Amino acid sequence: MTRRLPVYLLIDTSGSMKGEPIESVKVGLDAMISTLVNDPFALESVHLSIITFDKEVKLLFPLTGIDELTLPEITTPDYGPTHLGAALQLLEQRIDTEFIRNTTTQKGDWLPVLLVMTDGKPSDVLLYDEMCEKFSRKKFGRLIACAAGPQARVEPLKKLTPEVYRLENLDSDSFIKLFQWVSASIDECNKSQGTGIDESANLPPPPEEIMVF
Amino acid sequence: MSDSKIVKLTALDGSAIEFDSSEAIGSGAMKDVYFSPDKSYVVGFFRKEQDNNSRERLEKIVNTYSKQLFEKEGGENLRKLFCWPTHIVEWQHKGITKLGVVAPTYRSNFFFSSGRFKGKEKEGKWFASPKLRNKILDDDQKGTWLNYLQVCIKIARAVKRMHAAGLAHSDLSYKNVLVDPLKGDACIIDIDGLVVPGKYPPDVVGTPDFIAPEVLETVALPKTDSNKKVPSILTDRHALAVLIYMYLLYRHPLRGGMICDPDDSARDEELCMGREALFIEHPTDRKNRPVVKNLDKFELPQGDVDKLPYTLCGPYLKPLFEKAFIDGLHDPSKRPSADDWEKALIKTVDLIQPCQNPQCKEKWFVFDNTRKPVCPFCGTAYKGELPVLNFYYRPRPNDSFRFENARLMVFSKQSLYKWHIDKNIHPNEKLADADKKPVGDFHLHNGSWILINRGMSDLYDVSDANNRKKIAIGQSVSLTDGRKILFGTSVSSRLCVVQLVKN
Repeated sequence: MTRRLPVYLLIDTSGSMKGEPIESVKVGLDAMISTLVNDPFALESVHLSIITFDKEVKLLFPLTGIDELTLPEITTPDYGPTHLGAALQLLEQRIDTEFIRNTTTQKGDWLPVLLVMTDGKPSDVLLYDEMCEKFSRKKFGRLIACAAGPQARVEPLKKLTPEVYRLENLDSDSFIKLFQWVSASIDECNKSQGTGIDESANLPPPPEEIMVF
Repeated sequence: MSDSKIVKLTALDGSAIEFDSSEAIGSGAMKDVYFSPDKSYVVGFFRKEQDNNSRERLEKIVNTYSKQLFEKEGGENLRKLFCWPTHIVEWQHKGITKLGVVAPTYRSNFFFSSGRFKGKEKEGKWFASPKLRNKILDDDQKGTWLNYLQVCIKIARAVKRMHAAGLAHSDLSYKNVLVDPLKGDACIIDIDGLVVPGKYPPDVVGTPDFIAPEVLETVALPKTDSNKKVPSILTDRHALAVLIYMYLLYRHPLRGGMICDPDDSARDEELCMGREALFIEHPTDRKNRPVVKNLDKFELPQGDVDKLPYTLCGPYLKPLFEKAFIDGLHDPSKRPSADDWEKALIKTVDLIQPCQNPQCKEKWFVFDNTRKPVCPFCGTAYKGELPVLNFYYRPRPNDSFRFENARLMVFSKQSLYKWHIDKNIHPNEKLADADKKPVGDFHLHNGSWILINRGMSDLYDVSDANNRKKIAIGQSVSLTDGRKILFGTSVSSRLCVVQLVKN
């Protein structure tokens, strides 16, 4: 069986995302999915799952093939905390149940790609730190964290992954660029490989609006 | 959409070049690409500064190599098989000098014209993956098996001419070869990375699925290590064989059931495609045969090598697949050349028959009269009588005729061409327009098979050696078992013996 490439998106839906920011995220997600459904490589292998987190953590949909995907409504409460730690905990459970491991007789999934996007900082600090510790021992194809908007804090995300980006604005243009870049990074798995000297040179650069930390 | 912002540049050769800088139409790993205002060409700017070696290589590609390939016999026909860079430009942008190459826009048939992918490029992956074929792609975009033979001929021909000029593409893959199965057309793109052995080394090791095993095996070695294998004409031959296998059988020749490292997918991939690579249809070592029960339902039937073995491609392609994936997989010098592939593919076209099942998706198959002829794709047995022309030639003027292991499986309303009747004429890029016209056609007429002469001035029925009968233009000769037909009087003219196969 063709290996699946699991892609998990953890998206902040806390109160501060209400209104334009969350609408912009939806526009960005739509743009990303419409890129992926037109890409034969993604159609063959990419499986997407989205988890949202505010005061509650919600599995929007489990790992689903790109061609079978419809984006459900994403809602935000009026106010409330950012339970990113709990979101990571749910993700851990999801990976345990749906990730196909290699066996001696069957090919499993590619290492998952994870994008965490938040416009604030985790409220459940203890659980978050505990999960960061656990995730540091897990293998990912890529683990990208994005601090979106002026209120987002970079430092907590650095505990989760060295690959942290800052998105200045919470408008739809920024999110379209962010998710386009994520899909291009996914697609890189299928493109020409360098001669082994400078592998990172093959990744598309992050869009100009995204700052690298 | 942003407003257009036309930038005017003068190419290094003095030509005027314009492009719309407001929106990049594509961004690859190396370049950002922009349309010209009339969209007849594109300009791709390298993101990174190019060193002198790369600049010099580009200049050679645009000038010297372009002349070497296209200003020769058959060059104009060949040009269509490539999207070859035409000019080099420099753009002063945001304080940096960016180097760019100009290339023609892809022909319109290389974009989907309808359906949900309308306007998207027809990169080869669409047509080579069983899941995409069975689940995603519309039937009216897939073309027939004959179309894929034509696609493969064009790819092999283009690669043949590059190799003949001493050039290696270095990154042949279904991303860098556009295909149009509806017209049986193909076009090689992304030429600017090409490799000139000993002169311009490769930038990339290739694209997963197409990287030769020896390259993957030594990928971690430093550039200075003499054991490191990099892309070359020999690795192009591997990629070409994989492309042909994938377009004719819709599966990858090395992706089977074998697991080399159960703990690490990436390492497993590296071993299965590199050091441990093994043909999934290896006749004796069956470790890598696909396990049908592990396949997704959309990967079938193409994933089942017992149902659709590579031998369905016929007697000319079978030995080449064996050379490429058994003898030559880990021994690059044994891999078939692009010329071998082109010749075998062309000969295979003469063996194919339309499937008698009107619902058959592939429509054509290689007729195998050593067994009971059945369409391998839909299982429909061939019923009826079918003439096979077995061709003979004279090595030298006074020699007797010898069998040359070439046949034509006749079907109704099929045409006979000059390359069938004269051994000096070949259906390749050098074929003159005058030689493209059919010289005869075959029909099942009132229950018996006939050949009607449309343009052969010296066509003879020589079944009776003592009484050769001329068949004038406009007249016909019936194709009965054992009939001998001489197609001309020149030393290169062929003779055929008709064999009537009954099923």
